[in-house]
Amino acid sequence: MSHTGSKILNLNLQIWRQAGPDQPGALKAYQLSGISTDMSFLEMLDILNEQLIAKGEEPVAFDHDCREGICGTCGVMINGQAHGPDNATTTCQLHMRRFNDGDTIVIEPWRAKAFPVVRDLVVNRSAFDRIIQSGGYVSVNTGGAPDANAIPVAGHKQQEAMAAAACIGCGACVASCKNASAMLFVSAKVSHLASLPQGQTERSKRVVSMVATMDKEQFGNCTNTGECEAACPAGIKLTNIAQLNREYMKAVLFSGE
Amino acid sequence: MSDSAASPSKAGILDWFGLRWFFRFLSSSIGQKFVMAITGLLLCGFLVVHLEGNLLLFVSAEKYNAYAHFLHSQEELLMVAETGLFVLFLAHLYLAFATAWGNAKARVDQYAVKQTKQAKGLWAASPSTWMFASGSVVLGFVILHLIDMKFQARPDIVYLDEHAPNAPYANALAVLSNPISRVVYTIGVIVLGFHLSHGFASAFQSLGLNHPKYTPLIKWISRLFAFAIAAGFASLPILVPSLSR
Ligand code: FES
Repeated sequence: MSHTGSKILNLNLQIWRQAGPDQPGALKAYQLSGISTDMSFLEMLDILNEQLIAKGEEPVAFDHDCREGICGTCGVMINGQAHGPDNATTTCQLHMRRFNDGDTIVIEPWRAKAFPVVRDLVVNRSAFDRIIQSGGYVSVNTGGAPDANAIPVAGHKQQEAMAAAACIGCGACVASCKNASAMLFVSAKVSHLASLPQGQTERSKRVVSMVATMDKEQFGNCTNTGECEAACPAGIKLTNIAQLNREYMKAVLFSGE
Repeated sequence: MSDSAASPSKAGILDWFGLRWFFRFLSSSIGQKFVMAITGLLLCGFLVVHLEGNLLLFVSAEKYNAYAHFLHSQEELLMVAETGLFVLFLAHLYLAFATAWGNAKARVDQYAVKQTKQAKGLWAASPSTWMFASGSVVLGFVILHLIDMKFQARPDIVYLDEHAPNAPYANALAVLSNPISRVVYTIGVIVLGFHLSHGFASAFQSLGLNHPKYTPLIKWISRLFAFAIAAGFASLPILVPSLSR
């Protein structure tokens, strides 16, 4: 694995440990040595957990699935930054070469009322699922497969939709926002479907219902600080939030919703 | 944030007027942002008019007095304008408290470490992070300003009777020469500029107006506007006392 240029790191980790949702939690210090700069951040945590298991201690619980930046489960706060110091990068795609020998790394779970801690670094993000259930879909009739390209979509619309669809629902926007607002997430979903012909039928109903669910789930309100955009590993832009605001206003003023 | 469903107790009247949708809009997060933006922009409009009038202090005592007398001769219009202004201010204030309260509840447990990923130097100095704090300072300043000028109730300032022909100019000068007011006003308007440098541009985003075509321009105008307002108003407590009486 190692190539010339890879180094070995000794790290001071401060990791949030919490046994369960209603248990008190605290940062716990761990010394970890022999970490290669070629490793990913999650591999570093794997090594730590192997050592903890060998010592008979509880391993650190953290979410992960694809480890290739597409599933959105792996988000944690690394030294106060969602998914760590790199831009447009998920925790699983972050490499240890981003750190220096002797560094202290503080690792905390996403913190929001709407994302309660399940255990250690794992949070419950089902509030996002409930937002999607309330409108983040299109209804289609099943039947014979329609011809490919039968529905014309303008090139720039297709690109807008694609850019918004890049959202992996990781929750970094909520985690990094000082208000724990979910506007960037909701706006990505609303913009994505509002840009496409298939999304028109439920366009007004979708935005009103998704915003109502977002409010009910006790996410904070957006104050346009732009932290979410900077923290987003999928490059979702603030222009989506402006579009969400427009879509919502249009639906409230000009539709039966 | 607030629950978007209308509360049952209010449903009766709202349904009578067919305004349930409006109540739901006003209690939704986006509706609140929208009202915040509209009231903020209208208050910006007031600032421009107010500054224009006050800069007459530098022109001449006669011009300033004439302007003040003209305003006060429009008794009814002034009442309407003041009431409107008060309502705007109150709505802006109420929403500031309501959203700040909701936002504080949205994150109960805080991070041990928090850093920005935005490419701006000092997160701590970013206006957008400090809107509530800067707004509170401006509120304090506005209250003192109302006591000073509108109610003329400061015990340490000698006011000229308002029927005296030179009263507006003399009283403005008396207030602006008061050391306490000079300090508070200068700080107040600088913090106001800080507040506006985010608030003005942010209002357009809240209204859904964000596009690469014009958003960079809006951001520049916002900074320029904030600077002009702060500098324009700060010139009053700083320079006016040195005008010869
Ligand atoms: S594990 Fe899937 S995005 Fe990181």
